[in-house]
Amino acid sequence: MVTARIRSAAAPEDPINQFFADLTQPGHLETFESESASLRFEVPNGGRAERWYVTIHDGDVAVARQGGPTDAIVTTDRPVLEAMVSGRLNAHAALLRGLVTCRGSMAALMAFQRCLPGPPGSTGQVAPISSQTVMAQHDVRQRRSM
Amino acid sequence: MSDRLVQILEGNTFVVSDDCGDIEASRTDPTGLFSFDTRFLSRWVLTVNGQRLTALSTDDLQYFQTRFFLVPGTGTVYVDSTLSVIRQREVSDGFREQLRVLNHQNDPVDLTIRIDAGSDFADLFEVKDALKKKGSYQAQVVAGKSLVLGYRRETYARETWISATAPAAVDETGLSFRVTVPPHGEWSTELDVVVSQGAFDGAKEAPIGISGQGRRQVRGDMARGLEKWLQRAPGVECDWEAVERIYRRCMTDLAALRFSTLTMPDRALPAAGLPWFMTIFGRDSIFTSLQALPFTAELASTTLHALAERQGTRIDDFRDEDPGRILHEMRYGEMTAFEERPHSPYYGNADATALYVVLLDEYERWTGDTKLVRDLEHAARAALNWIDEYADLQGNGYVSYQRRNPKTGLENQCWKDSWDSISYKNGDLPGFPRATCELQGYAYDAKVRGARLARQVWKDQALAERLEKEAADLKRRFNRDFWVPDGEYFAVALDGDGRQVDSLTSNIGHLLWSGIVEKSKARAVARHLLGPRLFSGWGVRTLAEGEARYNPIGYHVGTVWPFDNSFIAWGLRKYGFKKEAARVAEGILGAAQFFDGCLPEAFGGYPRQMTKYPVQYPTACSPQAWSTGAPLLLLRAILGMEPVGDNLVVDPALPISVGWLELLDIPGRWGRIDAFGRGHIDTSRQYSSRG
Repeated sequence: MVTARIRSAAAPEDPINQFFADLTQPGHLETFESESASLRFEVPNGGRAERWYVTIHDGDVAVARQGGPTDAIVTTDRPVLEAMVSGRLNAHAALLRGLVTCRGSMAALMAFQRCLPGPPGSTGQVAPISSQTVMAQHDVRQRRSM
Repeated sequence: MSDRLVQILEGNTFVVSDDCGDIEASRTDPTGLFSFDTRFLSRWVLTVNGQRLTALSTDDLQYFQTRFFLVPGTGTVYVDSTLSVIRQREVSDGFREQLRVLNHQNDPVDLTIRIDAGSDFADLFEVKDALKKKGSYQAQVVAGKSLVLGYRRETYARETWISATAPAAVDETGLSFRVTVPPHGEWSTELDVVVSQGAFDGAKEAPIGISGQGRRQVRGDMARGLEKWLQRAPGVECDWEAVERIYRRCMTDLAALRFSTLTMPDRALPAAGLPWFMTIFGRDSIFTSLQALPFTAELASTTLHALAERQGTRIDDFRDEDPGRILHEMRYGEMTAFEERPHSPYYGNADATALYVVLLDEYERWTGDTKLVRDLEHAARAALNWIDEYADLQGNGYVSYQRRNPKTGLENQCWKDSWDSISYKNGDLPGFPRATCELQGYAYDAKVRGARLARQVWKDQALAERLEKEAADLKRRFNRDFWVPDGEYFAVALDGDGRQVDSLTSNIGHLLWSGIVEKSKARAVARHLLGPRLFSGWGVRTLAEGEARYNPIGYHVGTVWPFDNSFIAWGLRKYGFKKEAARVAEGILGAAQFFDGCLPEAFGGYPRQMTKYPVQYPTACSPQAWSTGAPLLLLRAILGMEPVGDNLVVDPALPISVGWLELLDIPGRWGRIDAFGRGHIDTSRQYSSRG
């Protein structure tokens, strides 16, 4: 697909840039409808920080490398942000663990995390389990107190 | 020493101590100071001259404030009370304890007063399951005046800061005060405990606490907030005086269960219960908001917002998350942080998503707040989409569940979520996926109500028509596939092969509430609900007597759940069974009297004639939000209150024991209105199962 080629051409080796580029490709995400938020992601990199400014306005998403004040400032390390944008690390867990800090609006971060992907390997599928297997799994002694 | 526990709470911070105010927690014991699902104090022991104290009395002044009257010594026969000690504790971001020592002698007295403090920083899950910690502890004295207890595991850090207003000798295990109290004089200090999500980063001052709000302000707001909350609620006047007491208790407990999320610190939704469930649960918060709607709509609007913020957007097997799914449970402790538990949040329920749409519609019918319905249009559409797109696991047009996280996910994703709650008559357990009956009722109701919102608020005629058509089709199929013709009731579930799981359960009462039951079948359902196998005299049992797994003290297999009964009563009213609804209400309100108005989550299913009083289920926790909300919904049901257009229709059918009942200043789209009724239904007669 054309869009895929454009995206990979933008920054083939960097999953973070790739993620933000993908976000602006549709430019509109249903999950953000009637939602407004702005965030600055900040990743310390030696003396200067890498920054991404994300603006959400009623479903429309824009990402820039420069910008003004935002509702929230999210600070984290590159490996952590990479893990989050590739679905390997849950944003809420990262926040509780102290891997990510959020200054300003928690609601903005809560809104943003909705566009993060699920863990790689999650299929939504599961094989049915028979009644016999369920019965065997549970302590049979407890059943039918007879 | 007494083992009585005193619980004071605010948001998700609460203290459980003994009746002296002391905390001496063992690993598996739910005592301590808890905040955000973490124990910040597991030891908090007061001594005077090395002696423990004895409680004379303990007063719960407010739900967030307790006062302990103590004397030194632990003698069982005679206490020499030349000294009194008063501890008054208030919870906010941690707690503040005022300690007063009164000397009743004519001579001055020299005392060493000490508080021993320590913390195991256990995650509530670890307390529940007796698990080991993986990080390391640290205690240090900061600036000579604060004791800081800390815990760290990689980047995860939690701290408890303890300080006092009076000069103290602070060491790593507590604070000591050497004081001289003058004759008939008094010494006092204030102990301040602040919990923090921080690191040992050389801070010299106590942090402002996790919620980030100023502490004193929080406390002032709490007292004012409770008063305002009670004032804003409708008044209840009743001949049966117990009803007034129960009502006041419910509203106060509901206030205590209010929970603010980090994203909406100024608004409150109902947490599920104390002590284990001070957090957002999709199902519990929705059911409680529904119960409380005639009394306060604020809980519903916050719940709807908070659940939309965290609505599922992706496929995540560990969290059982799908796009559009409404969360099951949210947690903030260490095990969630390290993804050893999936509660960040966990989505494993099959009912909250449909119930979300039900609450949104019911909220609008009471309040007329179409703005919220428009704001949450996307969330509601995504929820409706989940029902068809992700919940139909068997491709048979029914909502089913099966966990995709076999280690820490929930097996039963309906409200009866214990392992043995869904069984065949003979006691066998069905395989997975399982399609329990009430889930189909909720899905039906969500479609019917979603259609109304689509037509009236979202102005989407096509969606409305599609949902109505789907609802009608679901109702037709359901009444064919779930109906057990021999028994004349609905099977509790269809198993993975589409076979009926044929036991008789209280779930059929929820079907009436949802409106999925064909008129011709409703009378048989009502007969079962009030019949001897299900109705204990106090309420409807979760599982009918005579089923293989029936056990009057089995969690979901024979006990009576007040919340369950409140929705059953509402359902009975919907189908015109006024007497039956009154009977259920009389039973549950009668039981509430025995619990000082604070209904436990469940009580024994023994026949009322046998025990004369309701037997509390052994490990039930209390207050539990949806039990607290049950009497509120029962009042609505017996008064027959139903919003119709811009009016509130009142059609009372009260039990004789209630006498007369008046509900004053019921808020809604009509402004404020009163409802009044007189009891005329004799609930003392046994319901005839043949009649």
